[in-house]
Amino acid sequence: MVNTKVEEDRHVLVHGIRLSSVGPGRSTGSDVVHDLSGMDIAMKLHYVKGVYFFSSQAAQGLTLARIKESLFHLFCEYYYSSGRLRRTESGRPYIKCNDCGARFIEAQCDKTIHEWLQMKDSSVQKLLVSQQVIGPDLSFSPTTLIQVTHFKCGGISLGLSWAHVLGDALCASNFINKCGQIIASIGSINMQPNFHSSSGTSFKHQMSKIPAPPLSHEPLSVKQVDPVGDHWITANSCKMDTFSFHVTAAQLATLQSQISGQNQTEKMPIFESLCAIIWHSIAKVRRGSIHAEIVTICKNDPSAKLAINGIVTNAQIISTVKADFPITETDPKRLVNLLVNEAVDERRKIEELVEKDNGLSDFIVYGARLTFVDLEEVDLYGFELNGHKPEFVYYTVQGVGDEGAVFVLPAGPKGADEGRIVTITLPENQVPELKAELVKNGLGGHDLA
Amino acid sequence: MPPSLPDFSNSVRLKYVKLGYQYLVNHILTLTLLPIMAAIFVEVLSMGPEGMLNLWRSLQFDLVQILCCSFLIIFIATFYFMSKPRSIFLVDYACFKPPITCRVPFATFMEHSRLILKDKPKSVEFQMRILERSGLGEETCLPPAIHYIPPTPNMEAARGEAELVIFSAMDSLFEKTGLKPKDIDILIVNCSLFSPTPSLSAMVINKYKLRSNIKSFNLSGMGCSAGLISIDLARDLLQVHPNSNAVIVSTEIITPNYYQGNERAMLLPNCLFRMGGAAILLTNRRSERRRAKYRLVHVVRTHKGADDKAFRCVFEEEDKEGKVGISLSKDLMAIAGEALKSNITTIGPLVLPASEQLLFLLTLIGRKIFNPKWKPYIPDFRQAFEHFCIHAGGRAVIDELQKNLQLSAEHVEASRMTLHRFGNTSSSSLWYELSYIEAKGRMKKGDRVWQIAFGSGFKCNSAVWKCNRTIKTPINGPWADCIDRYPVHIPEVVKL
Repeated sequence: MVNTKVEEDRHVLVHGIRLSSVGPGRSTGSDVVHDLSGMDIAMKLHYVKGVYFFSSQAAQGLTLARIKESLFHLFCEYYYSSGRLRRTESGRPYIKCNDCGARFIEAQCDKTIHEWLQMKDSSVQKLLVSQQVIGPDLSFSPTTLIQVTHFKCGGISLGLSWAHVLGDALCASNFINKCGQIIASIGSINMQPNFHSSSGTSFKHQMSKIPAPPLSHEPLSVKQVDPVGDHWITANSCKMDTFSFHVTAAQLATLQSQISGQNQTEKMPIFESLCAIIWHSIAKVRRGSIHAEIVTICKNDPSAKLAINGIVTNAQIISTVKADFPITETDPKRLVNLLVNEAVDERRKIEELVEKDNGLSDFIVYGARLTFVDLEEVDLYGFELNGHKPEFVYYTVQGVGDEGAVFVLPAGPKGADEGRIVTITLPENQVPELKAELVKNGLGGHDLA
Repeated sequence: MPPSLPDFSNSVRLKYVKLGYQYLVNHILTLTLLPIMAAIFVEVLSMGPEGMLNLWRSLQFDLVQILCCSFLIIFIATFYFMSKPRSIFLVDYACFKPPITCRVPFATFMEHSRLILKDKPKSVEFQMRILERSGLGEETCLPPAIHYIPPTPNMEAARGEAELVIFSAMDSLFEKTGLKPKDIDILIVNCSLFSPTPSLSAMVINKYKLRSNIKSFNLSGMGCSAGLISIDLARDLLQVHPNSNAVIVSTEIITPNYYQGNERAMLLPNCLFRMGGAAILLTNRRSERRRAKYRLVHVVRTHKGADDKAFRCVFEEEDKEGKVGISLSKDLMAIAGEALKSNITTIGPLVLPASEQLLFLLTLIGRKIFNPKWKPYIPDFRQAFEHFCIHAGGRAVIDELQKNLQLSAEHVEASRMTLHRFGNTSSSSLWYELSYIEAKGRMKKGDRVWQIAFGSGFKCNSAVWKCNRTIKTPINGPWADCIDRYPVHIPEVVKL
């Protein structure tokens, strides 16, 4: 009974939903297709969700019409993300760039931004971004959905649902940042009418340039799931819960010095330090089950020549780390060293696995093993409205497998806030214990109380 | 000798015969006058100067007679000039260019259709088939309210669309012609399906603060041919009011008329009608004749409403669920053909050269008297006009007219390309077509243009314009950014 009341309240929280579509302002041309790489197809059951919160000063004078207009300009460049999925005769998915567009959702909320961010229940964030997945009708499912919610105080939130098959969180963030730039220039008097680079040229993927591993065995970071057909979401065997907490710069410093121990000169990398502590905590919660011995690390590839305009792809480095010893009895410093030095890049293996049956099988990557995703370098706060940065940016992934995933995001604009936001998706039954563990380790503080 | 050669030489011979005949009949007056003048000249020469002087002296002139004759001549001349209808000039016109945010590609239209009509897959299937064969392109536009799933047409949105379309077109017209709002003497707005109170013409007067003694008219319910009806009305008014400017605004407001049900015959307009509008400046001021683009030569209106079938063929009604839509009957094409024939019969004598009319007359007499089985002679309208603007009502309409009037692909290119780029914009489509011809640089001084529009009723209206000055390719206009891509080949069936 409690559930239904909660759901009812949730319905009332965000209301006034109106759906429309936004697409490219110019015709992309006929018969333009975008081929998906093996990596793209491996990630197809995941969806990047990003929510950006803006105060009323930032949103002043910003009409829906202006946002839509800038999206029409943006999609002239990002015409891949406004196409629709099709399958070749052999069944391999690809994107037909038919200008169908992204879904645009307008909503209202009766709370203020401040009140909303105070809410403890992380799952309400789902109301600000579309939870729609691709399928069951593959050729009529949008890969990109954008929701703009107006709050009582005049602030707005922008929720982006970005199918991982298009690209990773870095791509999604670049996409939104470019949108912000276009919104700014539409307001000004001299506006460049053409924001697009040459349209109609399809992007040729190249298999990762890393050398082939000596022994070709199956990649550890990927798990093949039962065929999902055209409905691109996998079912979890248990209910998953997501929660997030803020780690201040001070807490990070304490953590780093704790881990490095006597040798204070060695600077511990932040991401790996957090991963080590969380891995340790989760292993403890799971009471040393074997699944906690192998983890997946996802990081941005600094060498990937990701042009900021238009080209979207999955370029993040996916590597696995194997610990041959029980985690719960290991010193965090040893874990950090393991994570830094012994990560095995699996991208080539993943691509080979996908290409083996030409992209027909279905896989998950996030949650196949306990996954740690490093989004520290992603310019989440680069999306500006009226010159103001967002109050808060929240990124997560939908479609995480049973092993769970941990996302490390910047807590604020670079230089302004050197802390981190950590979002963890785990099976529901492991969450309370983990929260307690993290507090014991000096993380989370009042967020997890 | 191969058998094709005689045919070829025959057809060449026939062509020369036809050319010779046309030249003979069309210039018959000149050809008869020349020998007479030559004969007189020879006669005068042979008489010599003295003979001329004698002839002159023999004429007896009386003062009264001279005065009477001269007064008579002056009187006839004045009467002639006064009763001649004033020349009506089209100074310039402006077409509405929809913003990119209104663009509706095929895929988006189909996806929305599937979401809105999710319980009626057959209707969705039907719409898809229509869209594939419609001749529309990927850049046609619908108003903002129709982009929602489901569409949210309310009066405010309809007024919003009207303001967007009409004010944009008017602003563009003011800019192009340098016209001041205070100089508008006559205002005619035609919009068939949206008729609020106060009227759209009142809305224009309010926005631009037009004069209080303006003669304003608002025509509604008259269908896609209302644009030419407005031109006709303006022409008549400009005969009565000297030295006046008339502004005509032709548009169709889509928002309130988007059919929300699933009756197939009524879903058709949803697939074809798109946002568009045009503002035209007509004048009878002589000072404008230098810079005016066109001169109005004829307007011919034909109404087939007396026939019940014609009356009901485009009919607005409620479907079983009470949703209002426009139902198009199956014999629309046949009725259109009939209406066209009526119109041609009236306009033919006004515009066709004498050679064609003679042939037509002879064939008519021959059919009546000698042998009814003779094929009726279809006059060659390409002799009368250089350019054709056929209302882009749909691919079938253009095909039908091309066949009936025996026009080439280039003649109907303006209509087909307008249908592709802008869709069926109802009464303003003729102006987009004219704009296409100008944008292609094909309009030269002296060219004659024939605009034909069909509309509910069933009506067929024509207007004939003559180009006043060679028109340079316009820098800005609805075709400015895409004219280089046209003409495009439009496949029979577009694969969605």
